[in-house]
Amino acid sequence: MRSIWIIAKRELQSFFDSLIAYIMLILFLGFSGFFTWIYGADVFLVGQASLQSFFDIAFWTLFFFIPAITMRMLAEEKKTGTIELLLTKAVTDREVVIGKFLACFLLVAIAIAFTLPYYITLANIGNVDYGAVWCGYLGLLLMSAAYVSIGLFTSSITNNQIVAFLLALFIGLFFHIIFNVLASNLTGFMGQLFHTLSLSVHFESLSRGVIDTKDVVYFLTIVALGIILAESNLAKRNLSN
Amino acid sequence: MKTRKAYYSSVLLIIGILILINILSTDFFVRLDLTENNRYTLSKATEDIVENLTEPVTVKAYFSENLPPNVAQTRQDFKDLLVEYANLSDGNLVYEFINPNEDPQLEQEAGQAGISPVMINVREKDQVKQQKAFLGAVIEMGTQKDVIPFMQPGEAMEYALTTSIKKLSVVDKPTVGLIQGHGEPTVQDMAQAAQALTVLYNFENVTLTDSTEIPAKYKALALVAPKDTIPPMHLAKLDAYLAKGGKLLVALNKVEGDLQNATGNLVNVGIDDWLSGKGVIVENKFLTDANCAAVTVRQQQGNFSFQSRVQFPYLPILTNFSDHPITKGLEQVILPFASPLTFSGDTTVNYTPLAYSSNKSGTSTAPTYFNIQQKWTEEDFPLGEQTVAAAIEGNLAGNTMSKMVVIGDGDFAINNKGGGQPQPVQEDNVSLFVNGIDWLSDDTGLIDLRTKGVSSRPIDQLEDGMKATLKWVNFGAPIVLAILYGLFRSQRRRLQRIKRMEVSYE
Repeated sequence: MRSIWIIAKRELQSFFDSLIAYIMLILFLGFSGFFTWIYGADVFLVGQASLQSFFDIAFWTLFFFIPAITMRMLAEEKKTGTIELLLTKAVTDREVVIGKFLACFLLVAIAIAFTLPYYITLANIGNVDYGAVWCGYLGLLLMSAAYVSIGLFTSSITNNQIVAFLLALFIGLFFHIIFNVLASNLTGFMGQLFHTLSLSVHFESLSRGVIDTKDVVYFLTIVALGIILAESNLAKRNLSN
Repeated sequence: MKTRKAYYSSVLLIIGILILINILSTDFFVRLDLTENNRYTLSKATEDIVENLTEPVTVKAYFSENLPPNVAQTRQDFKDLLVEYANLSDGNLVYEFINPNEDPQLEQEAGQAGISPVMINVREKDQVKQQKAFLGAVIEMGTQKDVIPFMQPGEAMEYALTTSIKKLSVVDKPTVGLIQGHGEPTVQDMAQAAQALTVLYNFENVTLTDSTEIPAKYKALALVAPKDTIPPMHLAKLDAYLAKGGKLLVALNKVEGDLQNATGNLVNVGIDDWLSGKGVIVENKFLTDANCAAVTVRQQQGNFSFQSRVQFPYLPILTNFSDHPITKGLEQVILPFASPLTFSGDTTVNYTPLAYSSNKSGTSTAPTYFNIQQKWTEEDFPLGEQTVAAAIEGNLAGNTMSKMVVIGDGDFAINNKGGGQPQPVQEDNVSLFVNGIDWLSDDTGLIDLRTKGVSSRPIDQLEDGMKATLKWVNFGAPIVLAILYGLFRSQRRRLQRIKRMEVSYE
């Protein structure tokens, strides 16, 4: 547990000591702020004290930004060979993966936390449905966790960052829209399967303001799958036939 | 060293367990409803009605199978809802699902029951085809039947189902009368309100005459937007009705606006003295409110004519309600050309304001001429909140306790205002009227449910300067904070580095 935390802290610090964290924060906040407050279906145009416009835009910005954060996590270490250094320390593969997962997740969570002023402003100028807003934030966090673990997995199978980024986007695209599109004109078991697999369906269900164990289990499953697969990719080198 | 086989089989095992958990979670799940008014949880009204069922109720749900999942979700949701109802009802509610697409006879049966199919595009074997989908239900109790022709997904389902059950389970519906004879709208002119009221009441026209008393069968009366003078004899009849414990809702047009001619006039139906005797004065003024609806104006400029939406303060949007059964759950009511109310009674009458205008309100005297192009400023709204609806209780006539609801506008729940097509009115407008009748008749059971689905949460009226500030602060502050933190951090690192480079003599 301790070593996970040490790895996570180290990684998070290296984010903030390089430009990555700031570029990510400024782009994310810029996009979200612009479309939530200034242009498009912004709060004042809609005239409703709801953060729906923010959730809609964050749903897309996070989808693009998260692979950009996770792409280098394992791929770069593998390319430069530092992964060997790390893994010869007294840490298990799982601890490395979970530590890196935590670091990326915390960075996204910090980015999302920077939008709390939106919520405070709205609460002061209108009657906000608190439950729905908190559930929306929870939905964003769970969605981010799912994409972070997908990103870690793709980063673990290649040592090229660009490939990792594109693969993560490609896999993410299925969860983000393709399953949903498939589900909407298929019937029967396949339709139901794609419907269940679609991440946007679960995200919308959460952001209505209802926490359903079904949705939470779905997100946690993706997280667990991503971590296990990334770990098994690292573990490969130690396996005998 | 582990073997490849052993390792991968353990990974596969974990994945298998995860999938199993997911499959199980579709059947065993818990829901935590965090929305403010528990929109997705059964309301108290539903619980009361379903728990108190005395006769068995059968719900026949005609739902097509094999629909795309987003539509099929409705079926699943309805099933979940029915399971909860059945659990609550102690075995008095049973349901069955019928797939009308299986058999032409079933399809005919559904059609005859009044369930109309909708067409849905389905992709099958590389072809898009249209499929008839049935999404309706028939609710039966004894020999009576009620039909939900089309199920709206979401929270509207509960309202539809509970009101259907309530409609069937009410025995001896009380009667509510809509007073006629002075240019008032008829029951047909108030289609939306009538539809909501018929769940619990017989809602019918009642014409006042000089000679006959108002029958005691009326649990409540509504006097809505009279246009012609009400003779004193009729008022005396109302007094007699109140003295017997009758209840009355008055929605009075004290002023009326004519948008075609842009004029606003006073309406005098000779009820003022009578009303002020009860403790309420509807003022001879137009209420203006900075929080208002817009009207469409056709403007001519040179050869071009174009339409634009102009904010029109004579159409106040009310969002400010007191905590009272009538206004429970209301979010937004529009009262076109309303007048403020004042209290003129004494301590024997209990006066409760129900709805207020915003804190930027004003009044303008009638008759007046509307200048659509007027640039409204702060100074036009010098007054604070104005009461526009109130409830009064007490010995209003004679020595019997009685109740009245007075609203400073008559048109707000009328669909057919004379001439042209009937216009739909705001859901909450209807709810205000119907909740008023419910409260007067001491039946507040459905109030909870009626306003449940409404989810308008308007933001406050803000000046343009304030808006701009909020916009840019919210846009900029988080970014500036992030940059500042970055600068602070890089500065600290630089200092650390310098310190490390210094010669140390320790």
